[in-house]
Amino acid sequence: MFSYKHFKEVLNNTKRSFFMIAPMLIAVIGLVGLLQTVLTSEMIHSVFSGNAIYDMFVGTLVGGVSVGQPFVSYILGGELLKEGVSLYAVSAFILSWVTLGVVQLPLEWSLFGKHFTIIRNVLAFVFAFVVSFLTVMTLEVLS
Amino acid sequence: MKISWIMLLLTLVIYIVTAFFNSDVALASLQKSFEIIKSIAPIIVIVLFLMAIFTTLVKPKKMVKHIGDDSGLKGWMIAVFGGVLSHGSTYIWYPILSQMRNEGAREGLIVAFFYARAIKLPWIPVMIAYFGLTFTLLLSLYILVGAVVQGIIADKFVKVDLIKKL
Repeated sequence: MFSYKHFKEVLNNTKRSFFMIAPMLIAVIGLVGLLQTVLTSEMIHSVFSGNAIYDMFVGTLVGGVSVGQPFVSYILGGELLKEGVSLYAVSAFILSWVTLGVVQLPLEWSLFGKHFTIIRNVLAFVFAFVVSFLTVMTLEVLS
Repeated sequence: MKISWIMLLLTLVIYIVTAFFNSDVALASLQKSFEIIKSIAPIIVIVLFLMAIFTTLVKPKKMVKHIGDDSGLKGWMIAVFGGVLSHGSTYIWYPILSQMRNEGAREGLIVAFFYARAIKLPWIPVMIAYFGLTFTLLLSLYILVGAVVQGIIADKFVKVDLIKKL
C-alpha cells in the first residue's frame, strides 16, 4: 500500500542519498567536459573500428570493467554517440555497465559460489551482444 | 560517500593542473561541463521523485520470498518485474538473494532478477534524453526477454550439473 507519510520519509532519504552521490555526478561531468575538449573525434574513432561486432566487443569490455551509477554510463554513452561511435557499441557499453561487474566478482563469488558466478557473468556477456544487436537492428528497421 | 568526495577532489586537482599548463583547455572543459549540467538538471529532479516512489513501493524482503523453487509463472513475473522495480545498490540484494538460493530458490529466477535490474526505472528519463524513447523502449523490452531466456538457460545448466554430480 502507498502511504503518503512513508513516501515523504523516503523522499527525504532519497534526497540525502542523492546529495551523497552529487559530488560523484559533478566529478564525472567535469571529467567528461575535460575529455571532450582533449580527445579528438579521430582518437575516439581509432578505438572503434566501425565493425559492429568488434565495436560491441570493445563496448562490452569497457562497460564491464567500469563501475558507478547507471547515469554515468548514459552520459558517457550519449557523448560517445555524439562523437559518431556506433549505437551497437554504445548499447553494449551501457548494458554491460549494469549487468557485468568485474569489481563485484569476488563478492558474488563468495556469496553465490563459482558455478553460479561463472554462468551468470558468461550469460550477461553474451547477452550484451545479443540484446544490443537486436535493439539496434529493430530500431533501424522501424526508422 | 567518501569515494564521491575523493573523486570530486581528484577532478578539481586535474582541472587546476590543466589550467596551470593550458588555461584555455580548462576553461573550454568547464564550459562543456556546465552545458551538460544545464541539460540534465531538470531530468535529475524527476529521477529523485521516481527513486522515492519505487523505494516506497518495493521492499526487498517481501519480494524475494515469492521467488521460491515451485513458484512457476508467478515466480518468473516476480523475478523479472521485481528486478526492474528493485532499487539501490546490488550489494543490498546480494545477501538476501544468496540466502534465498541457499533455502531452495531457483537459480534461473535469481539470474533473471539480476539481469532485469539492467532496467533502471528512475533513470529512464535520462536514457530517453540521450537515446530517444524508441531506443529506450526497445532496449528495455529485449532486456526483459533476455532476462527470462538467461534464467531458462541457467536452470538447464544447473540440471546438467546436478546430473553430473549424481
